[in-house]
Amino acid sequence: MSSYLNLSGVNKMFGDFQALDDVNLDIERGEFVTFLGPSGSGKTTTLMIIAGFEQATKGRITIDGKPLDGLKPYQRNIGIVFQNYALFPHKTAVENVYFPLQMRGVGRREGLEKANRMLELVGLKGFSERHPKELSGGQQQRVALARALVFEPSLLLLDEPLGALDKNLREQMQIEIKRIQKRLGVTTIFVTHDQTEAMSMSDRIVVFDKGRIEQVADPLELYHRPNTRFVAGFVGESNIMAGHVVDATAGLAECAVFGSCRYPADDRFSNGQAVNILIRPEHLKISRKAPESGEWATMTVDTIVNYGDNALVIGHSGDHPVRVRVLGADVVIIKEGEDCHISWRPEAVHIIAET
Amino acid sequence: MNRLMKAIGFVVVCFIAAPLVIVVPMSFSDARSLQFPPPGYWLGYYEAYFTDMSWLRPTWNSILIASATTVLTMILVVPATFALVRHKFYGKSVANVMMLMPMAVPHIVMAVGYYSYFGQMRLVHTHLGVILAHSCLSVPIAFLVLSANLKGFDRTLERAAQSLGASPMRTFIHVTLPILRPGLLISALFAFIQSFDETVVAIFISGRDAETLPRKMFDSIRQEADPVIAVISTLLFVVVLIGLLTPYLVKALRGRLRKTNAGSEAPPAALAPQE
Repeated sequence: MSSYLNLSGVNKMFGDFQALDDVNLDIERGEFVTFLGPSGSGKTTTLMIIAGFEQATKGRITIDGKPLDGLKPYQRNIGIVFQNYALFPHKTAVENVYFPLQMRGVGRREGLEKANRMLELVGLKGFSERHPKELSGGQQQRVALARALVFEPSLLLLDEPLGALDKNLREQMQIEIKRIQKRLGVTTIFVTHDQTEAMSMSDRIVVFDKGRIEQVADPLELYHRPNTRFVAGFVGESNIMAGHVVDATAGLAECAVFGSCRYPADDRFSNGQAVNILIRPEHLKISRKAPESGEWATMTVDTIVNYGDNALVIGHSGDHPVRVRVLGADVVIIKEGEDCHISWRPEAVHIIAET
Repeated sequence: MNRLMKAIGFVVVCFIAAPLVIVVPMSFSDARSLQFPPPGYWLGYYEAYFTDMSWLRPTWNSILIASATTVLTMILVVPATFALVRHKFYGKSVANVMMLMPMAVPHIVMAVGYYSYFGQMRLVHTHLGVILAHSCLSVPIAFLVLSANLKGFDRTLERAAQSLGASPMRTFIHVTLPILRPGLLISALFAFIQSFDETVVAIFISGRDAETLPRKMFDSIRQEADPVIAVISTLLFVVVLIGLLTPYLVKALRGRLRKTNAGSEAPPAALAPQE
């Protein structure tokens, strides 16, 4: 069975600069996929190639088995929400939403009716006669979304659409976009550099770095079992320590910071192989006394950042920085400048091959 | 300090506005030549202007030439501006300088050039000759206005239109053009005014047949100082004033209309997002 959207061997050169290096990707119908990566990682370039605003130097893209090569942006039937919304300032909200229907030859009366229904769906009933500049950022966002969806596109592309909104509104829009996407069942690609946004919205996340896809996985898989050191560092907070495998069959590794660490045995590694050892901050447990069993290390606390419900403890073990996430109630047991013990369970240890 | 600045400002404004203050009453004067303050008032010179063909013909010539100049200028400037602002090509900076050149060269130099050059082509003393010369002078002004507008144009809007199914042509008609309309209008207005206003080139090449209003006024003030000149100046002033105020009036009117509409509208639905 072939996927709905397929990218195979997509390369993009800007002069001598390789913006995309052999990008291969399959997306299923109705999926919500996020392209995550730092700026310049190639995520937006990939989006623009799918939309038809950039040409791939090599490779091909198909939607539902039909190749997109040679199709102009206006022939592709792909809805896009741009970072700055790109609403037409001379048209009212409903006229903006009607525009794609107008371009498809839908009559004015029928088209405006449909546009109004779509505005209602995105929660903008009663705002249809306003011009964009009379709408708030969040409302403009909704109009842009309605406009990109009203013509039943074969694909919806969202290019960092929440970047300009404040935190509360951003969370509200995340839920809203997800709700509308589910309701309409439209295959969606969402581009962001914000990993929490990616985690909370996506069915799957595609992590880009330096023009390459680093990993494609669902959010939890990505968080708990990152494939590369880059993904481990980019998604969520992490303690990453260089070390090597001691006993591959038993699942035992060693690093200078924490000494020997057991991990869930994995036959992809071999004895002596250089690896990175990942332990998430919330998987480390702080205690004053040394634990009687299990694996532990000592740490000196440098800074405690309180968030109320939880706190981030930043310290060092040897000369390696260590971050520990503790519940707000537990933070009273330690003070800045003191030494303490940290312990963890073997299941929390994830090994990443050194590349 | 603040007071001194205000005083200086007041003096400067008075000095700048003085010609207007003088010209308007002079148009109602009953003196036989230009004289200020006027000895008495009447409307005789208004009547003289509106009944004398030797004034009405140049007026008509000026309107005709300025209109044609505007059309020709815009036909040249719109594509040129898009090319120069949006595209990179070999010799672009040279083209840019060439566009602005007529503004840098003194009008008298241009006029002498046209006089000898158009003479050979039998274009002197013709409407076409004046239109061509004026277009050349209008191009840099119209280009400057339009390119400033085009540089500020957000091209994502065009991408958005294309993603929504509009071909480049329809994108231009439905999105680019309407958004640039104010810039285009102002650009055209400047082209029109520059032609309507232009005197030096007109004196050299318009002759008797294509005589423009400024040329006629210049001739008249040299020969007889006919107070009709004050009438024309006043009329021009009124026309320009109306032209300048229209956008504000339209805006104010629209704002009032919207307010009345909004008042009668049902209150926004409870569903509306709380933002």
